[in-house]
Amino acid sequence: MLLAAPAVVPVVLVLGVSLTAALGQSLGLMPFIGKPSLSLRGWSGAAAELATSVGASAYIATASTAVALVVGFVLAAYVLAAPRPGRVVAALSAATIPVPHLIGAGSMGLLLSDSGFLDRVLGLPDGFPALVGSPWWSAVIIEYAWKESAFVALVVIGSMSRSMTGMCDSAATLGATAWQRIIHVVLPLSVPALAVSGLIVFVYTLGSYETAWLLGPISPEPLSVRAVRLFGSVDLAARPEAMATALVSVAVGGAAILGGVAVLRARRDLR
Amino acid sequence: MNRSSGPSPRRRTVCVLSAVAALALGSCAGEPPAAPTYASFEDVRADADGQVVDLWMYGGDDQGNAYVDDILAPAAAEEGVTLRRVPIVDTLDAVNRILSERQAGRTDGSVDLVWVNGANFSTGQQADAWRCGWIDLLPNMQFTDPGDPLLLDDFGTPVNGCEMPWHKAQFTFFYNSATLTDPPTTLEGILQWAAENPGRFTYPAPPDFTGSVFLREVLLSVAGGAEAVPLDYSAEAFDALAPDALQALDRLAPSLWREGATYPRDEQALTTLFADGEVDIAMTYGPATLTDLVGSGALPASTRVLTLDEGTVGNASFLAIPANASDPAGAMVVADLALSPAQQAAKADPRTWGQFPVLDTDRLDADQRARFAELPASPVVPGYDELSRNAHSELSAQWVPALDEAWRQEVAAAR
Repeated sequence: MLLAAPAVVPVVLVLGVSLTAALGQSLGLMPFIGKPSLSLRGWSGAAAELATSVGASAYIATASTAVALVVGFVLAAYVLAAPRPGRVVAALSAATIPVPHLIGAGSMGLLLSDSGFLDRVLGLPDGFPALVGSPWWSAVIIEYAWKESAFVALVVIGSMSRSMTGMCDSAATLGATAWQRIIHVVLPLSVPALAVSGLIVFVYTLGSYETAWLLGPISPEPLSVRAVRLFGSVDLAARPEAMATALVSVAVGGAAILGGVAVLRARRDLR
Repeated sequence: MNRSSGPSPRRRTVCVLSAVAALALGSCAGEPPAAPTYASFEDVRADADGQVVDLWMYGGDDQGNAYVDDILAPAAAEEGVTLRRVPIVDTLDAVNRILSERQAGRTDGSVDLVWVNGANFSTGQQADAWRCGWIDLLPNMQFTDPGDPLLLDDFGTPVNGCEMPWHKAQFTFFYNSATLTDPPTTLEGILQWAAENPGRFTYPAPPDFTGSVFLREVLLSVAGGAEAVPLDYSAEAFDALAPDALQALDRLAPSLWREGATYPRDEQALTTLFADGEVDIAMTYGPATLTDLVGSGALPASTRVLTLDEGTVGNASFLAIPANASDPAGAMVVADLALSPAQQAAKADPRTWGQFPVLDTDRLDADQRARFAELPASPVVPGYDELSRNAHSELSAQWVPALDEAWRQEVAAAR
């Protein structure tokens, strides 16, 4: 445990201080103006809106994670099953990873907005659904899925490329088709990597701000967007609500991690 | 865990917790010591020599950035002050920085000067974050009209010598004369036109600054004019006047761009929609930028300014010095310089920035007046006199969050 101290202590301190400060501010104990006084207004004042925001955040995170897992797995399976053309695909998806989400979101906006690049090049019909600012958060989910699928693929490929090749070869020798190799060999072996990377993607997209802000509709607001908006309100009295919103986001993320880890522990076969 | 070499786990937990608590509490303890005060501008000048002033300002306006970097900063260097421009996305970032540094007890604040608007000024005033009483020291204040209401109140917050006027602005609608040949001439007319031409109009979602102004303009228009709404906020006035305006916008929503299901995020997003030909009317509180946008081809050449019969809201924007600025004297020298007739005239040139001056031309001498008279007219934006005809003042700052929040709940969340 002492060995881990250099890594653990800073994290605990930084997280501890910021969470304590956020909690204090959300309860009115650290106001910019006036005397500190304990109040639950930041939490209960707009409970219904907070609940809506939790719903919006959970929807975006769930949908993005699901799409990212499917696309990421397909990418990984292709790279593993077809090593030579797979190298190109692997390089392309690896190139996605260092692109910052803000740049990705900006590019998605330019590509997918009503008079964006796609529309100008393809001349999309009038009935084509609006993706940016759509009530289904389409552009947001596409951006997350695009970026995070590369991450999922990287984790899956990295976790098993060595053991996999031999098994795939054996299965092929025994007459398994490519599809059978993917479903019966690659998928079961990928589940632990998929589960862990899915958990990371879920928690990341839950707390992430810029993509949802740039590409999402004005209302309803996910937790992160609501927290930043309230934190930036000209009315200093909105700060406790901003902090409460941020803490709810932390709590949902924490619950997801605890739940996910518990499931992984219970299903030892997944580890 | 190696039990023999360290304290017990419980004691260690207590240690960590108390360290966390000490850091958290320490951050808000202690009153900042008093900043230096000055009796005369000579003292200020003497103290300012060699100081480095960090001017925090919205960085999204290329002409504004170029003016500060290429014209104001060299002039400041001649006065012995180094001027550094710190670009920010939102003025509130600067205010947040000041407030956080004050909360942490820092007296050598990293912000020396802020280009501030009314709402953020009021936020800082709530927390006593601005240095006050310094603008009386500035020699160039003699060229402003002490009775000019735009310079006395900023969004209903009395200026009280806590910020120095920098330029005047007028809320302005503009339209594409190629697609809209017979533009409306009142705000009521604009809303009616929007209802008759579905999908061709929208406004930025409050709390965006511009969207928020539009909301207040609709409040005034629906109430029957600027006189019908008291400048000072009260819950009674809000309850009496706001519902009608919000209902009008809610009724209008299905006729807006995207059937009002969503709104452009900010003024830039609306301007992009306008440039892409998705809407025919757009709006800005900074008409000065239009000349450059049309000139560079970012906006169509057929862009025209739409002046309203009943006038629009006008204000002044200011430079403020935080109470904990580390170089307040240098900041005052820069502020005074920015107010000088030469700088105000340079800044008013549409080819430079086109910001309307805050000086009273009657107080200038003939040479100084000539500088302003010689400025070329913008091909797009009419002069300040025409833009500000029938102008009214801003409602007090408390109206802003109240209306924005009501709009969010009753208009944005309703569909």
